[in-house]
Amino acid sequence: MKEQIIKNQIRRLRFEANEMTQAELAEKASVTRQTIIALEAQKYSPSLELAFRIAKVFNVPLEEAFQYN
Amino acid sequence: MQFLNNYSNRELNIWAELILNIIVSLFFVSKIFPLIINGQFYSEALVQIILTTIIIAIIYSIIVFGTINTLTKREEKDERDYIYELKSYKISNNIFQISNYLVIGVIIFNALYQGNFGELTPPKIAMILLIIAVLSSTGKSLTQLFNYRKNI
Repeated sequence: MKEQIIKNQIRRLRFEANEMTQAELAEKASVTRQTIIALEAQKYSPSLELAFRIAKVFNVPLEEAFQYN
Repeated sequence: MQFLNNYSNRELNIWAELILNIIVSLFFVSKIFPLIINGQFYSEALVQIILTTIIIAIIYSIIVFGTINTLTKREEKDERDYIYELKSYKISNNIFQISNYLVIGVIIFNALYQGNFGELTPPKIAMILLIIAVLSSTGKSLTQLFNYRKNI
């Protein structure tokens, strides 16, 4: 089965959240900045727990932050 | 200093580990070949080389890892780090197992054909174990670096 990456809107959500920096988001989601970079580049699929944590940081539903096609 | 800014603390540590493996391999191979050529493979010189290699590895580790962890900020591991670590340990374990099977094969072959590979003396066993350790560690570092760089 072909590996599919979960798409995300993290970059847009950061911009809308007062241009939150990657480092700030990383701290709030309890991950490293490198993980946020990989997520924004759509090169890493987060665990369900991390996806929920990130959605919670932006106060949006999970499906607004992450999409799976 | 630019190099330090482009890589995370974790990646720098992996690079340092990889370079350590290369240094150990180069030093070890360059010293061991003259012994093999001169037929002194079982001599005390081999024990001396193994001890020197271990001492070099310890000194390098103290200096390089100490410098990296002083100059860059140490980060807590997250899920991505653990996933890449698991992937690399899997590769490392595979290399370790395959090498072990090869060594077992050599021992059996040796017993069957009256020591075609020579007697397995303690220095020779230590050398084989050192080579296996370096190989599996190199495999681990390369897998980790590949995964980290792939996602940037």
